[in-house]
Parts: sequence; C-alpha cells; structure tokens
Amino acid sequence: MSEDSSTLLALSDQLADAVARAGTSLVAVHARPRLPSTGVHWRDGVVVTTEATIRRDREIEVTLPDGARASATLAGRDRGTDLAVLRIPEGRLPVASLGEPSRLQPGHLVLALARLDGAGPRAAFGAVAATGGRWRCWKGGEIDRFLQSDVTLYPGFGGGPLVDMSGRVQGINSGGLSRPLATTIPVETVNRVVAQLLERGYVPRGWIGAAMQPVRFDDATGQRLKREGGLLLLAIEPDAPAAAAGLLVGDVIVAINGERVDHPEELRDRLDGDVVGRSLQVELARGGAIVARDVVVGERPRAGR
Amino acid sequence: MIASFLSAAAAQLRPSVVGILDGTDRGESGGAGIAWGKSGLIVTNAHVATGPDVTVVVADGRRARGEVVARNTRRDLAVVRVRELALPGAPPGDPARLRPGSLVFAVGHPFGVRHAVSAGVLQAVGRLPRGFAMSRLGAAEWVQADVRLAPGNSGGPLADATGHVIGVAAMIVGGLALAVPAGDVNALLATLQ
Repeated sequence: MSEDSSTLLALSDQLADAVARAGTSLVAVHARPRLPSTGVHWRDGVVVTTEATIRRDREIEVTLPDGARASATLAGRDRGTDLAVLRIPEGRLPVASLGEPSRLQPGHLVLALARLDGAGPRAAFGAVAATGGRWRCWKGGEIDRFLQSDVTLYPGFGGGPLVDMSGRVQGINSGGLSRPLATTIPVETVNRVVAQLLERGYVPRGWIGAAMQPVRFDDATGQRLKREGGLLLLAIEPDAPAAAAGLLVGDVIVAINGERVDHPEELRDRLDGDVVGRSLQVELARGGAIVARDVVVGERPRAGR
Repeated sequence: MIASFLSAAAAQLRPSVVGILDGTDRGESGGAGIAWGKSGLIVTNAHVATGPDVTVVVADGRRARGEVVARNTRRDLAVVRVRELALPGAPPGDPARLRPGSLVFAVGHPFGVRHAVSAGVLQAVGRLPRGFAMSRLGAAEWVQADVRLAPGNSGGPLADATGHVIGVAAMIVGGLALAVPAGDVNALLATLQ
C-alpha cells in the first residue's frame, strides 16, 4: 500500500473510532411523529436533546445502542437555549465523555453524530467554522460560547453531539438555531441548563416588572446630569420588583451597578443566569436629579402557569 | 495534507470513471459510469442509461458507443459494454466492512463538471431509518453517506479510503447521498456470466 493511501486510511480509522466511542452514549429519542431525534447520555440516567424535537410530554421512549427501547420522562425543557432533559433508567449505557469547547478553533475537524434506530451511530464530517464568546440566540437564551461548524445536520441529527477527533462531546447540535452553518450549544451551557432543569424543570430568568424604551436627554438636561440618556420607564407592574423598589413611570434608568445603560438589551443581559434574589443598584434620572434605588431581581412569571 | 492524499486516491480512480450520455445524444448532460473490476464492463444507473445505447466519454475526452447489456431498474443499475475501449477497472470493495465515520469519496460530473471529487464520511449501510423517506426507498439496502452529490454524479463511484468502490451513487434523499451497494452490482454482473 502506498504512503498516500495508508495516511488516508489512518484518518478514516480515526474518524470511525471517534464515532464508535461517542456512539456508545447516544440514544434515539421518540418524542415526535415520524423521525426520532438524537439524545446524549449526559449523566447516568440523564439524556439531553434539543427542546424543539420534544413534541409531546408523555409516552416518550429512547432506543439504546443495543437496540432495546426504554421509557423516558421529561425532566424539563428550556426553549431559550433549545435544550430538554429526559430521565431514563440508570446504568443502561456509558455516560458521554465531555470535551472542552474553549479549545476548539476554526479549522478543527469535527463530526456531528446521530442515532435514529438500533442500527448504529450516524456521522457527518466537517470542520469548525467559527468560534466566539457569549451570545444570545434568537430563541432568547444566553449561550456561553459561539460554536459553528460546516457539518450537515441531516434529519434526526438535532439533539445529537458535536464530537472532536477523539470522540469527546463538545456540545449539542441544534437544528433550530442552525442556518446556514450548524450551531452547537457548548458543554458549559448544557451543564448549566441541565443542572437547572433537573432542579426545577425549567430555567428561571430574572425580572423586574417594568416596560421601558431608550431615550436621549436634550443637551441642557444631559449637561446638567452628566448623562446622555437611558431607559425611560413606560409602565410598572403592581407588586413587581421595580414597584417594590419605588421606581416610577417617567423615571429614566441611566446606570445599573455603576455602568451606563442605553438599550433594554443591556438590562436583559443582567437578568440572565443565576440572578434571582440578587440586588441591582439602579441610578435613575428623576425630576432633574440623579437618585439611586436597589432593585431585588424577581423570577420572571412563566407563561401559562 | 489530507487534501493531497485524497487527490492521489481520486486520481487513481479517475481513468476508470466515464461520462455517460443517454442514447447517441452528443449533448453534455447525463451521468457517470465506472469500469468495474475485471469485468471489462461499465456500470451506471438505469436512470442514466434509459435506452439500448449510450455514448461513453472517457477521461481523456475520447467518445465511444456503448451497448446496454443488462439492467435492473428496481436497483437502478445498468451495465454497458464498449467494444472500442479498454479501460482500467476500479477495484470493487465491501461497504459492510466499513464503520460509520469512515472516509468516503465520490467521483462524478456534478452539473457537468468533469471528474469532480467530493469527500465525506459513511453514515450507514442498510435500510433507511423508519420515517426518513418514502417506503419504496426504505425497503432497499443503501450505502448512506455524508457526501455532497449533484445531478451528474449519478452512476459514478462512491469509494473508500483505499480507493475501492463500495457503491454506485444513485440519489440524494433528505440531503443524504444514497449509493447502490457494490454487492448488488456484483450480483447483476454474475447474471451475465
């Protein structure tokens, strides 16, 4: 055999090894009509998949690598990060070996994997296309790291893992967040959301109970207050954290925890993560002067509850 | 680096891959075909060679008339004999010996681009997963691969990392490349003996 073909064969074997290794912790998730989606055995008895592929709350089953079916219960779902967590019987299959997405760079070779039945793991091959820091996806959730690759997410690949060349799981691939490149929800975000979903069944989000819009001060007011503008409060819900802290309609929030705010997104960013019960020091422009109030972040009421 | 190894593997296959134009049509549409092993025959898709004759276009540009000597429309295979040409046959392989994730590559003429190479990995060998496609396709065994194919790849080879032909590229379903397993080609050729 020539050197060329033996090198190619070595790469081919390495890819197949990575698929086989990661494939031992993959299940097919039957929670929608027709084609199943893929799930990753994240902790013993805990399977992670994408939220959008869970179309029913009951009578969910998984197909294990040995082809056996097991019943699963929905432990929780978070539309914002497109993640859902299922509980399955413990001790039935190995737990996924997790990687460190922070080490991935554009150009690293990766595989997207799926399991759609008892026949074996399925693979798609490509390279990391782009990496970056924290971002907010269009579904509203905060993702700890930007990770996109040029792998094709075929039907049923949603909820499956992105794995590196050693078969370590770098995150969960989301079909719903992917256009045109495949978007992966990284290990850090999955760990965080899994912990919250197992504890409460949902991901609590911070809330102060006020509606607002950005405003700019006129030059005279701006010079007097030494501020350019802020967030004008348009409505305050009764009994909400903003009301309890004494905020009033017409106040303009100019800073939070000492940092100026110009856009509602900047407040929203401070209401994500583990913030419920913590205090925000809010500076307000009121009646031509600056006043400070502490707002204790509440938990955003959940639709339909 | 990988790219050069892959291009070497593809270059080895290239003389065995032909263009197939339906009938004696001199146009540039059509599909691909493979000189198959030691058979002295060319294999393509039945949907590429629909009539009794085809025009075969070799890598060096020569053209010859080919006669369709066998056909299996259920498996979308046709076998072509060309009397004037002696082409090097590509070695057949066995897709069942490959594991998911193994490197594969296709050589064909996507949208008329001659002898284009596309690379990817094997996804599965066997029936399509339930719910993936129409039942007619689901009943047959396929080599299923994560490889980008286009019209013009039909009838061309899907090969493994050692350059052995594991299937005949036939169609794309749900973005997935489907090839007829090499074993089905061997079975059809055996009926000609």
